[in-house]
Amino acid sequence: MIAFGSSITKQEVYRRCAQPGIRRVAERDSVIEPMASIGSIFRSYNAILDRFSQRDDLEALVLVHQDAEIVDADFCQIIRRSLDDPQVGLVGCVGAIGVRSIAWWEASVTCASFINRYDEHGGGDLPSFSWAWSDAPAYARVGEVETLDGFVLAMSPWVVRNVRFDEALGEFHGYDLDLCLQVRDAGYKVVTADFRAIHHRQLDMVPDPDQWADAHIKLADKWDGRMGIGTGAGSWKDRALRAEADTEAALMLAHMNALESDARVRDLQRALAETTESISWRMTAPLRWLQQSAPRRRPELTPRSLTKSLSSAESP
Amino acid sequence: MIAFGSSISGAEAYRRYAEPGVRLACEADSEVFAYAAVEPLGRTYNLMLEAAAALDDLEALVLVHPHTEIVDPDFCAKVRDALSDPAVGMVGCAGARGVRSIAWWEAEVVCADVRQRYEEYGGGEIDTVSWARHRAPPADVDSLDGQLLVLSPWVVRNMRFDETLLLGHGFDLDFSLQVRGAGRRLRIIDLRVVHHRSLELISDLEVWVEAHIRMSEKWDAVLADPVGDDMGWKRRARRAEARREAARAIAMSESLKLDARVLELEREFEQKTDSASWRLTAPLRALNQMRHEAAQRRNGDQG
Repeated sequence: MIAFGSSITKQEVYRRCAQPGIRRVAERDSVIEPMASIGSIFRSYNAILDRFSQRDDLEALVLVHQDAEIVDADFCQIIRRSLDDPQVGLVGCVGAIGVRSIAWWEASVTCASFINRYDEHGGGDLPSFSWAWSDAPAYARVGEVETLDGFVLAMSPWVVRNVRFDEALGEFHGYDLDLCLQVRDAGYKVVTADFRAIHHRQLDMVPDPDQWADAHIKLADKWDGRMGIGTGAGSWKDRALRAEADTEAALMLAHMNALESDARVRDLQRALAETTESISWRMTAPLRWLQQSAPRRRPELTPRSLTKSLSSAESP
Repeated sequence: MIAFGSSISGAEAYRRYAEPGVRLACEADSEVFAYAAVEPLGRTYNLMLEAAAALDDLEALVLVHPHTEIVDPDFCAKVRDALSDPAVGMVGCAGARGVRSIAWWEAEVVCADVRQRYEEYGGGEIDTVSWARHRAPPADVDSLDGQLLVLSPWVVRNMRFDETLLLGHGFDLDFSLQVRGAGRRLRIIDLRVVHHRSLELISDLEVWVEAHIRMSEKWDAVLADPVGDDMGWKRRARRAEARREAARAIAMSESLKLDARVLELEREFEQKTDSASWRLTAPLRALNQMRHEAAQRRNGDQG
């Protein structure tokens, strides 16, 4: 039996995002555990693990963020195939190698089969590089990785029964990397598989930078060079000075991007104003009014229809 | 006498921006040292300091970046007034307090009416370091922006730019720290200036990072809290690496948000200009455009 669990802080988000995906992929005997959060994600997920650890018929437990939507209807078969190898402990759809910190995206990402669907500015989709395999770069592949993004995480029964999230690490950040490290430390493999998910989230990657930085440090201190975590080139002094310089370079880049974007926005606003204030625009206002009054056809291409068309894209 | 100097790496930029500003600001007896740039920048500036130091009646030396245009007709009077206090070693139009690195704009910025004029996307004008909260002058600061530096005669005769700083960035922080180390104050006053520069403020970020490190190595005892032993450096490295990766993630998020905002406007524009009515009236707009161009030509002929 493949079980599903979610830790829910916002019911509406779960109902809109995770629930449709779980319903899409769950099998008749699947147990679904949508649990109201009982504190940190570490603690809530441990409670879900405890709930399923005694189930003899457990084939896998899939932890799904409340804002993550699994897309592929054959998800359970894909997970089963991955867990056929008894050495596999964890399966996901986004992973990386060469990971040194909780910022796994700074490492060499090998698989990223997800879409970031955002609501800001009229909404949109940002497909990651292996969402559609036909367009994926040469480095995209499924297989063994060092860490997974925890937004959809399938766990083997051994992991469910023997490993726990480290509640000392904080509230949210780093729970997935730490789990992957524990599983690998115990001799099990962490792998990506060919399934896809939609992450319904705002564009802000780190809305709580102080908490995020604290988690980064805690994890680096915990593993302190083991499994590559917290390592870097040069002496501590070299690393400190370089990181401080890199931080300000990143901020400078952000400032420059903002200036450029503001200039583009001003340019577009000028063009829009010139359009809507022109004589021809005002002259043709009745035509537009008539057109708006007429029954409208539904647009053929929406983010959802795009998802649907991409979901039939070629697999590796 | 107030002298002006500029290290000219692009003759056209100096001709278009710095030179008209110097002409506007200078007085009848002002000397202008317009020198071809010698690398590093500190070397060219030191040549100007040598030349200016020989002037007995020197009241100030104004170092102007070729892309910087002084637009303040009262410039010399304001400079004279600020330097009337002998404790003031340097004056500028932008700088900051609590500076920890060459990124002075990340500290507490003090800034006069300084504008940045750019040519991209149809051109425009914004406040310099527009992302930072500006405190208005007059005020003392720790570091000045090197786009415009006004040096007192004492500084001209006693201080020199560090010619070992080869990477081009941070010369202003280094010189500011030297002047402050010699017991002189740095002051921001109300000088009106325009920087004519691209929206890409730094085109060589990797070189900038190296310059940042170099400057931290030289001035760490002044710019940062004392670290002590290797364990202290480890703590600082851990914190810095966490902040770096957060900053990069934030920069990426901001970039995505900005792209989404632009995309939204592009969609709106496309929707408007793709309408049947807009296409229908295209000949009218073409005619109107021709009429405008003809009128402009006529006006040009008359001019």
